[in-house]
Amino acid sequence: MPFLIRQTLVYAVPLMLVALAGVFAERSGIINLALEGIMIFGAFMGVLFVRFVQQWGWFQAAYDAKNYLALQGFCTLAILFAAACGAVFSLLLAFAAINLKADQTIGGTALNLLAPALVLFFIRILANQNTLNMYTGDAASWFMLKKAMFGYGRTQQMGFLGSTFVDKVYVATYICILVFVVMSVVLYKTRFGLRLRSCGENPQASASLGINVIKMRYAGTVLSGALAGMGGFVYVLTTANCSANGDVAGFGFLALAVMIFGNWKPLNICGAALLFGLFKCIAASYSTLDINGDGVYMLKNLNINTNIYRMLPYVITLVVLAFTSKSSRAPKAEGIPYDPGKR
Amino acid sequence: MKKESFWDKTATRSVLASLVAILTGMVAGGLIILIVGLTNPTLGIKGAWEGIRLVAAGLFSTGRGSAGELTFGFNPTSFGNMLFRAMPLVMTGLSVALGNKAGLFNIGAPGQFLAGTAASLSVALSVPTSVLPAWLIWILAFLAGMIAGACWGAIPGLLKAFLNINEVLACIMTNWIAANLVTWFFDVSNLKNALEGTKSGYIYKTSTILNDVVIDGVSSTVGAAVPEGAQMVATRGGVATGKMGLDALFGGSQINGGILVAILIAVVIYILLSKTTLGYQLKACGANRYAARYAGIRDKRNIVLTMALAGALSAAGAALYYLSGNTEFFWNTYQSLPSEGFNGIPVALLAINNPIGVIFSAVFMSMLQICGQKLTELTAYNEYITNVIIAVIVYLSAFMLVIKMWIGKLRSGKAVKK
Amino acid sequence: MDHEQDYVIEMLHITKEFPGIKANDDITLQLRRGEIHALLGENGAGKSTLMSVLFGLYQPEAGEIRKDGKPVKITNPNDATALHIGMVHQHFKLIEVFTVLDNIILGAEDTRLGFVQRRDARKKVEELSKRYGLAVDLDAKVEDITVGMQQRVEILKMLYRENEILIFDEPTAVLTPQEITELMHIMKGLASEGKSILFISHKLNEIMEVSDRVTVLRKGRYIGTVNTAETTPSELSRMMVGHDVQLVVDKTPAKPGKTVLKVENLHVPSHLYKHDAVKGVSFEVRQGEIVCIAGIDGNGQSELVFGLSGLEKCSGGKIEINGVDITHAPIRKRSEAGISHIPEDRHKHGLVLDFSLEQNMVLQAFEEPRFQHLGFIKFGDVRKYTERLIEEYDIRSGQGPITTARSMSGGNQQKAIVAREIDRDLPLMLAVQPTRGLDVGAIENIHRQIVAQRDAGKAVLLVSLELDEVMNLSDRILVMYEGEIVGEMDPKKTTVEELGLYMAGAKRQDRQKEARA
Repeated sequence: MPFLIRQTLVYAVPLMLVALAGVFAERSGIINLALEGIMIFGAFMGVLFVRFVQQWGWFQAAYDAKNYLALQGFCTLAILFAAACGAVFSLLLAFAAINLKADQTIGGTALNLLAPALVLFFIRILANQNTLNMYTGDAASWFMLKKAMFGYGRTQQMGFLGSTFVDKVYVATYICILVFVVMSVVLYKTRFGLRLRSCGENPQASASLGINVIKMRYAGTVLSGALAGMGGFVYVLTTANCSANGDVAGFGFLALAVMIFGNWKPLNICGAALLFGLFKCIAASYSTLDINGDGVYMLKNLNINTNIYRMLPYVITLVVLAFTSKSSRAPKAEGIPYDPGKR
Repeated sequence: MKKESFWDKTATRSVLASLVAILTGMVAGGLIILIVGLTNPTLGIKGAWEGIRLVAAGLFSTGRGSAGELTFGFNPTSFGNMLFRAMPLVMTGLSVALGNKAGLFNIGAPGQFLAGTAASLSVALSVPTSVLPAWLIWILAFLAGMIAGACWGAIPGLLKAFLNINEVLACIMTNWIAANLVTWFFDVSNLKNALEGTKSGYIYKTSTILNDVVIDGVSSTVGAAVPEGAQMVATRGGVATGKMGLDALFGGSQINGGILVAILIAVVIYILLSKTTLGYQLKACGANRYAARYAGIRDKRNIVLTMALAGALSAAGAALYYLSGNTEFFWNTYQSLPSEGFNGIPVALLAINNPIGVIFSAVFMSMLQICGQKLTELTAYNEYITNVIIAVIVYLSAFMLVIKMWIGKLRSGKAVKK
Repeated sequence: MDHEQDYVIEMLHITKEFPGIKANDDITLQLRRGEIHALLGENGAGKSTLMSVLFGLYQPEAGEIRKDGKPVKITNPNDATALHIGMVHQHFKLIEVFTVLDNIILGAEDTRLGFVQRRDARKKVEELSKRYGLAVDLDAKVEDITVGMQQRVEILKMLYRENEILIFDEPTAVLTPQEITELMHIMKGLASEGKSILFISHKLNEIMEVSDRVTVLRKGRYIGTVNTAETTPSELSRMMVGHDVQLVVDKTPAKPGKTVLKVENLHVPSHLYKHDAVKGVSFEVRQGEIVCIAGIDGNGQSELVFGLSGLEKCSGGKIEINGVDITHAPIRKRSEAGISHIPEDRHKHGLVLDFSLEQNMVLQAFEEPRFQHLGFIKFGDVRKYTERLIEEYDIRSGQGPITTARSMSGGNQQKAIVAREIDRDLPLMLAVQPTRGLDVGAIENIHRQIVAQRDAGKAVLLVSLELDEVMNLSDRILVMYEGEIVGEMDPKKTTVEELGLYMAGAKRQDRQKEARA
């Protein structure tokens, strides 16, 4: 059970963060179909950052000295770097969609094509293979919280809460949750959030009240890029041993579905992400899933083909969309280029 | 009425805008190569220059000369392979273009391509040639692929028409479902290649002769050479597209008559869109769904029909590709989608959704792929740079209208000066 | 110039040109402190352009704006706000999913550390609301409140920003008479509190009732400014239109024949709200008569037409065409049963703007044998057909049949639609605001066509918001109010005033009782 919850969180947390990224863009009026591409790019840049910094001596020194604080700080830096890169990458979408009034669907698709192409091009040059790994070590031992850090011995148990929410959990997961909460508050409680949301509903009205729609839409898109870049890196950090291969297997699109299912509202998205995270988790690790702790791998014993589990998240997405799309309410002005001349 | 000059025609401007997109893409690719070359000591400016030349003219590359320098010249193999690879791209490009004309962004071409692959491969490999002649099996396999693609494409169409689910999202989901479904389907099938030792991840080529035999009471599948004493049950495989003499023109390449089929289908789609009432309806729905509804055109039916047709086209591309006889399909595809599907998007956008234009833009895309291949073979660079170029082209396609306006302004600026 | 006066805003010699048109030509407007100043003019007289200049949305080519006698530059709405100029736009600038409170404070939020201080704002808005008698529900979402309350929200937005100069752009167009009365009261109250008000309208009675002075514009030019007390409606009317024109349509009395359209207890759901927009409507239209649905915008007329044409599914009732039940028939079947339809929104429904004129002319007919053979379109015949319609209906376009519909003028687009629908030669024609936004020549042309249809024995159902059109064109008037038909009258035996009372819901006939009698 602790394993199931932990693993669900591993998938659900980046999912809700990237879904929130979609919310920021769409609520400002820009459809960000490029979430997938931005995740790929952010993941690559984050891993690249880790790889480069690892080559400096102090990193190994910090590891040898068991200076966990420094390691976690370093991990946080990598997350921030990925976020910054995601933000920069999303400027391409912002420029096309806002300044050139481009078709946002095609623009987003272009970034989804560009990200894996660029990333794989550089990975092949840097690593001479299709996967970019860390310079040294594996993700699990570097960036996880472990019971040893809190003075527990190898055979000591941390209890249910401890083994669910502390042991073998990435600090990155909690950073994401924190960012999610902070950004949700920003969206609803601040002047910036209020103005941003108005631009996705009725930009002409916003402009008549002296709000700079173009600036707001840039802000929405760039924040969206930052959150997606961050989500992308955390995703590969926690599920792919901190290696980038130019692919997140449709995770960005799942996030879009979560966003729609969550009706563009953070709290609903949180719930939707947990549901999808659960299915993603089952898909990824059903064969070693021991739900009630009796040593029996129930799902594996059902003898259902792996691929059925693997397609489950996508099928569920379609089914959920089918049931919710009638009642969902997208921001009214999303996808429509803002034209100041139109009243 | 004043006659428009050649340069003022919308068609001319569209072609010019596409050329601008292509040029920008190539320049972006060249710049990346240059920057990487300059920052990478093993490549240097010399390596970068080689890379740039290959990106621009890889089609004419004939390898390296005795002194290690790049050599160029007419390369029939590359030309043939270019046309061969253009074949599926024409079809997926048509698929995306048809969707665009009807106002639907068909990003589901990869899934439809997979559906077509699974259906046509399984028909081609399981119907015994001892029962039906190979050419008839080819046709059946081709049709089976198209039907499977049509069904698969209709799913997002139905979801869009009746539940108003964004077709982009539905297409993406069906893509990944197809990837897993096809993997599962082949995983439990007996079409996996076990004859060539290590090639277990592949499906038999359709040209492979397979004999189902019973040896000492045990059923098994063997190749063309049947062991002594084995009891023949059925012969399968040996299905391949006719070469139609094209192999003589382009020696050493994979080319076959499939490219002609693809061109023929492009012409049919062109006629469908521009000459028929069906095409008129689809375009009306795409240009203004409300006006189409007002006029009594059944927009929901048209959405489903468009997606089904688009699916059939993508799947036909897959059928043409895998029924070639000597192409291999890696069945364990659940974590990646066929690039032929996604590349249908730039092919269609570059052709501004014109079915005849799709033929040319598909050939251009496959030329880029040949360039990428040469780049990988001959330098330390790799083929992904061509995907970067394609992505840049798609990016520019997103604001084709603005580019056309710039071209118009440039033109009118000149007119004023005169 | 009269410098004795205390002018709060002066717009002097404003000229604003758009490609091909001089929207404002040397216009001067002076607003005194504490007055209600009406700006009068027909559609297209340049009122909205002038206000957009004042509001900083357009930059004038020539002219000067003065605030309190000092020249100022207004380059965007922020400048206008800084000068305490506020505006209630004709189409409200509200965010539908936001609460009333959020709408009021948007753009002028008080913040602490970036956080919006809603509690302080609420207190301030409540005070304003009490002081000026503007009742609003601060926590309701704008999409759930009435149009009248939405307008009060717009007024509160201006007051919250402590605006001194309040502009009302055609504020009564969407209001019921009670709401109009209330608005007039509010405006007077605001003026007596020292606010200066610019009131844009083309409704003379409202101007006479509420304003102190009137400035009249005509075709982009300044005609003059008069004191309301010293003028009469007929003088203002003459200033507004230039000469005494009356749109009178030549027509003989109707000779109604047998019933073509029969509607019984029809219900049609609303797009915006969860209730029905059309609530149990029954009426008939016969051959050779023009029946007009009159009413203030948004009382279910559009939905009624959607229900009849099949664009919206009916939630109850029955529709018959020549005795055939088409209540649940798809659009194409209704069209075949005999309905032609000039739609309300020519860009959304009437035309495929990116298609050529000839493609648009066969939008419904392309599947008829005369235009296709075995699924292939007969392009030659489509061309010939279009050329005939162009000739007969005087449709002007740059390149004839191959002109893109988008590039045609509004009048010619509408002529094309009218030509297409008339030429289909069907027993019933639905014409929804067929002359909206057109110039006088085009209006006359279309009116003549509609009367000719009637005389040819067609049944015509006309929906119009223009009272002149209603009175002149129709043979019978049905008034719709809040989704119901509240009155039926003969245009020759009624007056505009009486019609107005019905449209406002102040009067209603019990039609069922009458029908029984």
